[in-house]
Amino acid sequence: MQIFLILGIPVILILCALVFKRPKVFGIINSAGYLMVLVFSIILLRKLFFLAPAGFVSYLGFIYLDSLSAFFIFVTSVVSFAASLYSIGYIRNDLDKEKITEKKARIYYLLFNLFCLAMFFVPAVSNLGMLWVSIEITTLVSAFLVGFYNTKESVEAAWKYIIICSLGIILALLGTILFSYAFAISGLSRSLNWQEMVPVAHILDKNILKIAFIFILVGYGTKAGLAPMHTWLPDAHSQAVSPISALLSGVLLKTAIYAILRFGIIVVKGVGFAYFGNLMILFGVISLAISCGFVIVQKDLKRLLAYSSIEHIGIICVGFGLGPVFGVIGALLHVYSHAVTKSLMFFGAGNIINVYKKHNMNVIRGVIKVMPFTGIMVLLGMFALAGFPPFSIFFSEFLIIAAAFLKGSYLVAGLLLLFLSVIFGAFVFHFGKMLFGNTPKDMAVIKEPLSVKLSFLFLFFQVCVFGAVLPFIKKELVWFAQRLF
Amino acid sequence: MQAIILFGVLVSTYLMIIAKRLPALISSFRIQSFFLFLATLSIAVNERQLDLYIISGLLFLIKVCIIPHFLYRIIKKIKVSEDVGMLLNVQISLLFAFFLTYLSWALSGKIISIGNQAQVVVLAVSFFAILTGVFLMIFRITALSQIIGLLVMENGLFLLAATVSGGMPFFVEIAIFFDVFVSVVIMGFFIYRINKLFTHIDVNKLSRLKG
Repeated sequence: MQIFLILGIPVILILCALVFKRPKVFGIINSAGYLMVLVFSIILLRKLFFLAPAGFVSYLGFIYLDSLSAFFIFVTSVVSFAASLYSIGYIRNDLDKEKITEKKARIYYLLFNLFCLAMFFVPAVSNLGMLWVSIEITTLVSAFLVGFYNTKESVEAAWKYIIICSLGIILALLGTILFSYAFAISGLSRSLNWQEMVPVAHILDKNILKIAFIFILVGYGTKAGLAPMHTWLPDAHSQAVSPISALLSGVLLKTAIYAILRFGIIVVKGVGFAYFGNLMILFGVISLAISCGFVIVQKDLKRLLAYSSIEHIGIICVGFGLGPVFGVIGALLHVYSHAVTKSLMFFGAGNIINVYKKHNMNVIRGVIKVMPFTGIMVLLGMFALAGFPPFSIFFSEFLIIAAAFLKGSYLVAGLLLLFLSVIFGAFVFHFGKMLFGNTPKDMAVIKEPLSVKLSFLFLFFQVCVFGAVLPFIKKELVWFAQRLF
Repeated sequence: MQAIILFGVLVSTYLMIIAKRLPALISSFRIQSFFLFLATLSIAVNERQLDLYIISGLLFLIKVCIIPHFLYRIIKKIKVSEDVGMLLNVQISLLFAFFLTYLSWALSGKIISIGNQAQVVVLAVSFFAILTGVFLMIFRITALSQIIGLLVMENGLFLLAATVSGGMPFFVEIAIFFDVFVSVVIMGFFIYRINKLFTHIDVNKLSRLKG
């Protein structure tokens, strides 16, 4: 039942956004709606992840949820609530400075809700074709949010985004069709529902499954930002409206990972784990290597964070590639911890850029004096993002590296440690200069609006308590990881 | 009958590779879509299913009528040169096309087990259309030809889905149609914006964002 509320509330908000005339007030209604979505998704997560981990929820043969879907819906709702909270202050600021008109602010909220609705659909649908359609809709809607400010840069970013992702997603459709072909020639009744494909995966044609999975990985991998198909990502993330950058990086990439996992489960059952695992590790390590190089030489603040997203997607892929138990747990936790930490950082970057009016990190100096609250949050978030203990990303990365050592893949573990330490250094270097350093002249101390502060605290709370919660849920996690593939 | 339709798809795809002007590209796309329509219609007649009739009707409406018309209108409105912007000239493109044809033939032979020659041909033609779409997206530099490249890929996929795997479920098919249509409209919208801001639609010159 909760799933209808989770999908229904964004629909109601879309209708409200159409009729409601005052965007400043609507922002508050919007985040109240997403708070409700968050509550329902927690209930759903509790039901499917903790109370009945083997259970599922199915409606009309169209919606089908198991613990994996519940987890991804939870992550999506956390970030979309934080983004809706942050949007209140951000859009109000844009309106006050007359960067956008009231009409445009209304369009923003309309698109925001459409975007979130499409992302909630991805883990909820049972049909692999509908999964494809939902992911394509997320691209189409968010392209407008990337090109929102209508500058030359943002329109260029939106064009690259829509073309590269459409190309990728068409390859994913080819993969999906090959999966359904494998199903059709096996003599079973035709179906594209994943829950019907998993039990019979072992009798499907192995060669077709292998070829199909390559297309799936390249196709959805484009959307997930895996290198070398990542070229749209830094452009889109740096040009989008800041709350949307957080959504893009925090959840949109994860929905593509979810799609890869759904097909991956079928492939693992049909072909064996080694094929899936090696491909995931390969793409993951390439992503880490490429993002590592770009993080070091980066000059643009939001692009730096975008390349760091590529890095973290790489880590997630390596984690899933290493397999049960520790690799899968680590990757799953990393999906969540990266989502909250990166959203926090994008919100911080949004505040900084609003004040300094520049993306260039060489111009931004002394943030901690100009904006004490944002400055401290960004400083802590930076350490969290780079994988410093007691923050959440440390635990997930630790689990993944431990999985690599336990499995005997010393090369993978070594490469992970190497790239992570280089990126850590680069982050401290870049953020150290920005946060401290001499403040430019005639800059007064600026206070953030309440909604922005709340969204920071909401995310930061999750970044911190994560490690303390971990011991209490380890039984469920292990159980989940053992059953995933 | 099927052989003629497949031959038609193949020829119209070759026409797209050698097209030098945008209207020629669009009209060959229209021809290709028309052959696709014939293919689905023939399957519909054979299997006597209402679903397939609806799908072929939608195909005719969207891909043969609306989308080409919409693309022609964009060309008329933005008043840029009608050149497709070839990065490779016709001769080399044609050589590429031969290579792609061979490649798709080889690939489809691998996927389908022995003894099913008719399916291998269908698979090869649809792979060829998909690869041609990729080719058009990479080696033609105007934004409009990139859209057509995407549509050609989609056509190839449609042929693959309809003939080889016996089609997708009905509502998925409808959703994909809707999706393709919406994405073309949105891309057209962005072409207007690009043209307004940059006064050209040459995507090779979109290089403000780097690193």
